[in-house]
Amino acid sequence: MSLSGREAYKAELAELACENDKILCIEADLGGKNHAFQQRHPDRFLNLGIAESAGIDMAAGLAEGGFIPFFSTFASFAALRSAESIKLAMGYMGKNIKIAAAYGGVSGGWFGTTHHCLEDIAVLQSFQNIRIACPHGEAETRKVIREAAASPDPYYIRLSRNEVFQSLDRAPEQSCREIIYQQKEIEHSHLCLISVGEQATELCKQMTEKDPSLLHAHLVYVDSISLRSYVKELKKVSDQFLVVEEHRGTGGTASYLSLLMPECKVYSHDCGDKWPSYGGDHADVLRYLGFGLEELKGQVAAIGGRNGI
Amino acid sequence: MDTLGSMEIHSESLVNRLSGLANEARKLIVEMAATPTGCHIGGSLSVIDLLLGVYSKYGEDPNHLIVLSKGHSAAALYACLYLHGVIEENPAVNYGQDGSLLTGHPNHKLPGIPFATGSLGHGIPYAAGWALAQKMKGVNGIGVAIGGDGELQEGLCWETAQIVQAKGISNFIYIVDCNGGQNDGLVRDISPYHHLRGMFESFGFLVKEIDGHDFEQILSAVEPDPEKPLAVLAHTVKGKGIKAIEGNPHAHYAKISEKIAKRWRMGLK
Repeated sequence: MSLSGREAYKAELAELACENDKILCIEADLGGKNHAFQQRHPDRFLNLGIAESAGIDMAAGLAEGGFIPFFSTFASFAALRSAESIKLAMGYMGKNIKIAAAYGGVSGGWFGTTHHCLEDIAVLQSFQNIRIACPHGEAETRKVIREAAASPDPYYIRLSRNEVFQSLDRAPEQSCREIIYQQKEIEHSHLCLISVGEQATELCKQMTEKDPSLLHAHLVYVDSISLRSYVKELKKVSDQFLVVEEHRGTGGTASYLSLLMPECKVYSHDCGDKWPSYGGDHADVLRYLGFGLEELKGQVAAIGGRNGI
Repeated sequence: MDTLGSMEIHSESLVNRLSGLANEARKLIVEMAATPTGCHIGGSLSVIDLLLGVYSKYGEDPNHLIVLSKGHSAAALYACLYLHGVIEENPAVNYGQDGSLLTGHPNHKLPGIPFATGSLGHGIPYAAGWALAQKMKGVNGIGVAIGGDGELQEGLCWETAQIVQAKGISNFIYIVDCNGGQNDGLVRDISPYHHLRGMFESFGFLVKEIDGHDFEQILSAVEPDPEKPLAVLAHTVKGKGIKAIEGNPHAHYAKISEKIAKRWRMGLK
């Protein structure tokens, strides 16, 4: 049985810590019971309590002291409450801290807007030098955690809540920093969908099944350095892109790609500008925000999709 | 003010040497206030004796770490590091100037500065985290954070105090430069602490109160306790050493003329 992204994070980190005694797992009291890392490495598990900003700064001190701290809480509390600590310690000073941020987007569903985070990528992308990874499914999440542990770069890893997905196929030797495509044969397409994150990748999978003329490129890393590295390859496969991302349109991946590729048309399927004030599960809240297959079909048609969509 | 229970007697030569360095450092701070940018002179003059004392104790051993969390007192930190030979460049020459790393708040790209502070509160958890790392590795290393009493209005300081007691980080020393001033006035007018000692004690700290301009007291106070984290409440005077601004809350930041700087330097021993 597959694991959700945040459970895959705990499981993979616990595995890695067997090989690397520098790895620490820090929680801000949202790690939950039966935490895989806590059970296997209690001496390197630190619940610092509900003190996210101090937690990031302390992680900076722990990193300076020779450890590789992974700090986890919900995305909103990590990216927004601790924003200044992240900017200074991870962005400016480059301290080797890895943040695993669960509850990305509106995966918190009925927990409400305090527990949603549709702004994190905008905030983190503006703090230069931090790797931002949005893995899809267990396999990709595990691979990103391994890459983060092996890298000296600070990381922000956006995870969801409890949903379980099958990652797209990726060769074992292939880094998550490489773009992968849903199609086996990559041909120039009139429109390339770019998926970022779990729900977006699922949507793009469904969309390309309905319209095989679309190309689906899946990005895991969406920090500014990574996005700049993708431009040359992306321009070979299309000159029109529709970025699908569970995020605000402002400051998201589409907005930065549009700056990087002014000669291309870059569109965005995103969560718009409404505050979700109602309950419901993840899918319900996404529907309220206009993020879903029907809306995506309409957008593709408006851009100039084919096959009658 | 409580006095120290057991006062370790430090050599007269060390205290004399530190007094001499403090005098030199104050001259440098005055010179930095006379640069085109000016500097945070009041808090730099209040904290300089604490910095010099702590550096003489822990600064030359890489197994310890010192962070000036009240980063606006960068002029004092630069003077201290220069007089200890950690940075080679006389900070009074290029402080704040284009192309110089001697920025108005401490720059981690300079030797002896592990963390860029200035946004208040962050240096405290950083030093505590570093101390925790030493504890987890089982090595002897003291993490020292020097903050201000105005800075204590930042929630980060108290988040850290809570974590420090929860994790038993007894190799952490938190020195508070209690000069009673902050940017817009006096701490007691803006957001007073009615029982600061009790606040730290309630967080499980051993608390010592000292005269933050007395090197005997400074050197004796910064000995860690084997069981508890240590808070040193150091009572100081904003603008200490320069009669024209001593105790004046409006001396938080100053840009002075060379003529005034010369007069103030001559007033120092």
